[in-house]
Amino acid sequence: MTASPSEIAERYAAMVGADSFSADHGTAKIRVAASRWIEVHEALRTDLPFFSWLSAIDWAAEVAVGDPPEEAGEERYEVLSRLSDVGGGAGLIVSTDISKSDPRVASLTGVFGGADWHEREAAEMFGILFEGHPHLVKLYLPDGFEGYPLRKTFPLLSREVKPWPGTVDVEDMPATENVEAGDEAGGAEPEDGE
Amino acid sequence: MTERDFRAMNLSEVQVSVELVTPDVTLNLGPQHPSTHGVLRLIAKVDGEVINEIDPVIGYMHRGYEKLAEVRTYPQITALVNRIDWVSGFANEVPFMVATERLVGVEAPERAQYIRLILAEMARISSHLMFLSSYPLELGAATPLMYALRERERVLDLIEGVTGGRFHPNFNRVGGVKPAAGAGSDQKKVVQDLPEGFLAETREAMRTVLAVCDDMDELVVGNEIFLERTKGIGIIPAERALEYGVSGPNLRASGVRFDIRKTDDYLPYSKFEFEVPIGAVGDCFDRYMVRLEEIRQAARIVIQAVDTLPSGPLQAKVPRVIKVPRGEIYVRAENPKGEMGYHIVSEGGRGPYRLKIRSASFSNISILPWLLKGQLVPDIIAILGSLDFVLGDVDR
Repeated sequence: MTASPSEIAERYAAMVGADSFSADHGTAKIRVAASRWIEVHEALRTDLPFFSWLSAIDWAAEVAVGDPPEEAGEERYEVLSRLSDVGGGAGLIVSTDISKSDPRVASLTGVFGGADWHEREAAEMFGILFEGHPHLVKLYLPDGFEGYPLRKTFPLLSREVKPWPGTVDVEDMPATENVEAGDEAGGAEPEDGE
Repeated sequence: MTERDFRAMNLSEVQVSVELVTPDVTLNLGPQHPSTHGVLRLIAKVDGEVINEIDPVIGYMHRGYEKLAEVRTYPQITALVNRIDWVSGFANEVPFMVATERLVGVEAPERAQYIRLILAEMARISSHLMFLSSYPLELGAATPLMYALRERERVLDLIEGVTGGRFHPNFNRVGGVKPAAGAGSDQKKVVQDLPEGFLAETREAMRTVLAVCDDMDELVVGNEIFLERTKGIGIIPAERALEYGVSGPNLRASGVRFDIRKTDDYLPYSKFEFEVPIGAVGDCFDRYMVRLEEIRQAARIVIQAVDTLPSGPLQAKVPRVIKVPRGEIYVRAENPKGEMGYHIVSEGGRGPYRLKIRSASFSNISILPWLLKGQLVPDIIAILGSLDFVLGDVDR
């Protein structure tokens, strides 16, 4: 490995004029405006030709299932794509925010052919419109499916019916009330209930 | 009039038109078809023998792991992720655990990392042996299956001996690996480590795996029919492969020396010597040969790791309830099928806020509409098989 993740993030942020960059836990990431989505990927393509994936995150203050964020930020969808180089170990996540009222971003299919299926998946799961996508139909879900499953407002029915089957949830068991205080499992001790 | 006369009469009356009208025929392959390795459906528009357009239909195996992960704790998700690519279940767990550990800020002890590495390479051997055996079968050669599966079973037995499961080990824990099954201790508090005789049996298994690779070389690679069916068929140029995110042996067959084991440090691969085999043109034959050679290299790694296995604890000290601080991380690994990665977004708490699963087969077969266009119908099976995908890894 030649460059550290923070150097990689800084270099590419400067190259494409990103709004900000970060490298938490060795994960280089730059943030750009949605209007520059295609332009930025075209600029990065020479250095980072491997298109790894594209996906999205639903940032919501209230959620149907799971844990909401500790500090609710602005409600938005974050669209992410991950690119990497070949054999050098450099990788970069490119991220942009789009509004929830009008979730749309330009399709990357013209830059990376592999974006096709990833965008179809993000479209059906989050309800994001990828403008210019040649064939934006459902990928996994059946044709008549209604709703966008990976949105936080989409309930997971099995969890609505029954919060968690059985008594295996360690945190709710009375004997483990002070787990955070100091009851640490030693390296040698087998876990209970295995 | 005999039947023969009747035929002769009819034939003589047939008018052969030089300009045959051959409208496109829609050919439906799957979802239930042995060559689809699960439930993949291909809708092909064919003009005679030539494919004009192909539309893969996936999602029959979609289990919604990304949504399910949002209501589960990190240790619970391990049980989900080793069902993604079930041919190499153990290898799926590793990048997820490494990502979680990095978010929590713990590191697995060296011995646990070595055990992970040994089992991950065994998973690669098992996955590739499955390919080496099933691919000739799809092209009409039944015998290699028996040879390769015999050794695969031996490797799976070893994995089962350590983890308790052949396909779904669920063996990793945040901060290390589970104390192994099968050590034979009747005292609960005694540390259970690798089963007795594991190291010796592993060496023996690697010897036979290397031997079966030579067998496959002789049985398959020199076969005239096999060469005819695979050489020059289904060529993926390197540039196209990168653009589609095709990874692993499929990418290396196209001549790109890209191996995450060499670039990333999710497991201590830098301590071992191994080569990264690449192909010349990226046809079905190269994809076969790259995997054959990768088994040899994986066996080489396993033997080195077994010889230098350090002693020590299997688990780092972690709280009983794993709480992950805020953060975002992407960790990828070189799995048998290619790049497998997990993008975890944590907002604190016991489960992820969002988990994106990057699975190799999904990207590997997303190139199919491009790759199969213009190919001949009989080559569909040869090309599909050579990509070595698993539908669980496509649909997640």
